[in-house]
Amino acid sequence: MSQQTIKRNPWRKRILVSVLILAVAVAGIYWYVATEKFSDTKDRKAAYTVNALDFIREFQQDDSAANMKYREKIITVNGRVSALEAPDTSTVNVKFVDTTTGSYIIFAFQDTHLAEGKSLKTGDTVSIKGSCSGGTYSDILEVTKIDFKRAALNK
Amino acid sequence: MKKTILILSFIAITGALFAQKKTTTSAIVKFDASTKIDDLPKAENKTVIAALNTETGAIAFEASVKNFAFTNPMIQDHFNGGNWMNSDKFPSFTYKGTITDLSAVNFTKEGTYKVSTEGTLTVKGVDQKITAPATIVVKGTSIVASADFSIKLSDFGITGAPIDAGKVAKEPKISVNAVL
Repeated sequence: MSQQTIKRNPWRKRILVSVLILAVAVAGIYWYVATEKFSDTKDRKAAYTVNALDFIREFQQDDSAANMKYREKIITVNGRVSALEAPDTSTVNVKFVDTTTGSYIIFAFQDTHLAEGKSLKTGDTVSIKGSCSGGTYSDILEVTKIDFKRAALNK
Repeated sequence: MKKTILILSFIAITGALFAQKKTTTSAIVKFDASTKIDDLPKAENKTVIAALNTETGAIAFEASVKNFAFTNPMIQDHFNGGNWMNSDKFPSFTYKGTITDLSAVNFTKEGTYKVSTEGTLTVKGVDQKITAPATIVVKGTSIVASADFSIKLSDFGITGAPIDAGKVAKEPKISVNAVL
């Protein structure tokens, strides 16, 4: 009887320890994923570097193909600032506009880089990196617009 | 006679100037579906297109679904995924409506005006009637329009285990702010 107990106990312990380790690992992975935050865009490598006007034209010519290529990727865009829009103190949006069509790229700056965005002036030639949300046609403005979030000035 | 024509022309031009369509490409829409269990399902989109016609009271918004910025990558992926917004297929939220009591607002006089709005919100290709109170603030040459309301996710065909488990609010709060 006592020999049987001695034989069973190690297996129970092993199973219990395994379940415990598994539970801790699952909890750890869940905690990591649930508390993860987007990293600083400045530290991320861009998938593409493009010229603003060429980029807009690529969307105008074939928005499906352009969206497949660029959407949800980090892109660096070089261009001239056409407008700065700051509807509140925690926001600065920078626009590159194609003056021939009115189509535009708009960058919402990442919170940690607001000061950089606010330091820009209309007419500045800059390089901006951000997460591309893709291009859509606006029925209100009747132009193509390409949205970026979490933008920062490129190093 | 010439004087009368001149006066009438002036009135017409002045009226046209005030009765213009005002737009912005930087309206802000906030989406908050957080609950006591989970604080993560909330985001904001700072590049929303908004328009207001001060003559007819027509209002419109367009927001790129993928430009809602969440703090957490997993929640953002879920938000854009097939079970939720399916943003690859339905890339925009749109709203078209009107201020139903436009006479309550004097766009040529500075002040804060409480108004009522009604219109159609389109999310994930589903149209729903929305009525909501809104505030119009006229200051100098700018008009600030804001509104807070909530939507039922099930009205737009959005369901799932996280909602049933109370991790995502069944009726998220939406707030809109546009400087026009």
